[in-house]
Amino acid sequence: MPKVKMKRTGFVIDMTPLVDITFLLLTFFMFTAKFKSDADNEQKFQIKRPKSAADTSKLPEKDVAVIKIALDSTKVADTAYYYSVSNPELWNLVKEDPSLSEWLTPARKELSKSQIKTIKVDELEALVKATRTQSKAFNAMKKSKAEQASLKFAVDADRRVRFKWIADVMEVMRRSRQTQFNFVTDKEQ
Amino acid sequence: MAGGGELGGGGRQKRGKHSKRKTKKRVGFRIDMTPLVDITFLLLTFFMFVTTLTTPQIMDMAVPPETEDVEVAESKLFTIRVRGDGKIFYNQAKDAPQPIILKDLRNQSIKSNLDLKNELITVLKIDDNVNYETVVNILDELNLAEIKITQALQAEKLNRERKFTIAPLTDIDKEEIIGL
Repeated sequence: MPKVKMKRTGFVIDMTPLVDITFLLLTFFMFTAKFKSDADNEQKFQIKRPKSAADTSKLPEKDVAVIKIALDSTKVADTAYYYSVSNPELWNLVKEDPSLSEWLTPARKELSKSQIKTIKVDELEALVKATRTQSKAFNAMKKSKAEQASLKFAVDADRRVRFKWIADVMEVMRRSRQTQFNFVTDKEQ
Repeated sequence: MAGGGELGGGGRQKRGKHSKRKTKKRVGFRIDMTPLVDITFLLLTFFMFVTTLTTPQIMDMAVPPETEDVEVAESKLFTIRVRGDGKIFYNQAKDAPQPIILKDLRNQSIKSNLDLKNELITVLKIDDNVNYETVVNILDELNLAEIKITQALQAEKLNRERKFTIAPLTDIDKEEIIGL
């Protein structure tokens, strides 16, 4: 054997490009990461959304009133509406609306900080109507046009619920003169 | 020898004694980056697992306003009925309802719509016991059909005006599809 194997002891790799790209990815994921909000922590259910073909319209993060229809994880048969508004200021205004004072007692308000649970359709209708009036008043307070935003309504229902629940919501929307709303779905993989 | 200020003074003093040191420059020094890379990768994997890139999307829906019922010609109606067990039936005008599977609904909707151009009114009637998932699947198929219809009408220089509504499934409707 003429060739003597040279031992490569203590060789160094330049890690700078690796670190560069890793930091880039890290910052990207750090900025896109969204953590669970208080509202998500409070709720005991998880909504399994129905899947639909990929669309470009995404659920807005603000200026949206969401009606969730979910099955409680503790009892499968226990379906209920969960109502919430994304803007905290508007949400507080809605909860203080005089038209709701009859059934939305302080005790119940305490129970439902971020979303109101109800199984009664007329309570849901009162909430939708109160939101519409408060939203208009809220927008009127804003000075510039840019600050005003039209509130969207979204129905976020579990795929296992009966259509009756959806039909009731659609009737509520019709009676509240909120003819446009959205169904929340997940993207089909 | 970490202090920056002292290092300068010390060097000057030693210059006379050890003149060899003067030429020694700190070029191309290396820092061991391994711990840095370790911790960065750890954070990177954490944030990658935590983040959810799939944000929910929305499907537009409209309900007719509360006004008096509008009379429409029955010949322009394309009715889709969904029975309690999830079976879908369709019929146009006064035809007898025919069963249809979800996969064929898109093509049927395209065909019917292109026959009557913008005149056709699609009516969706759903039983209360149908799963919400089935409803969204049907709406999705109809939305996908809309793309093809719009394209076909644009080729004829027409604007697409979609006429679609969800109506309650009445007892008469139920009777018509009960035995099928």
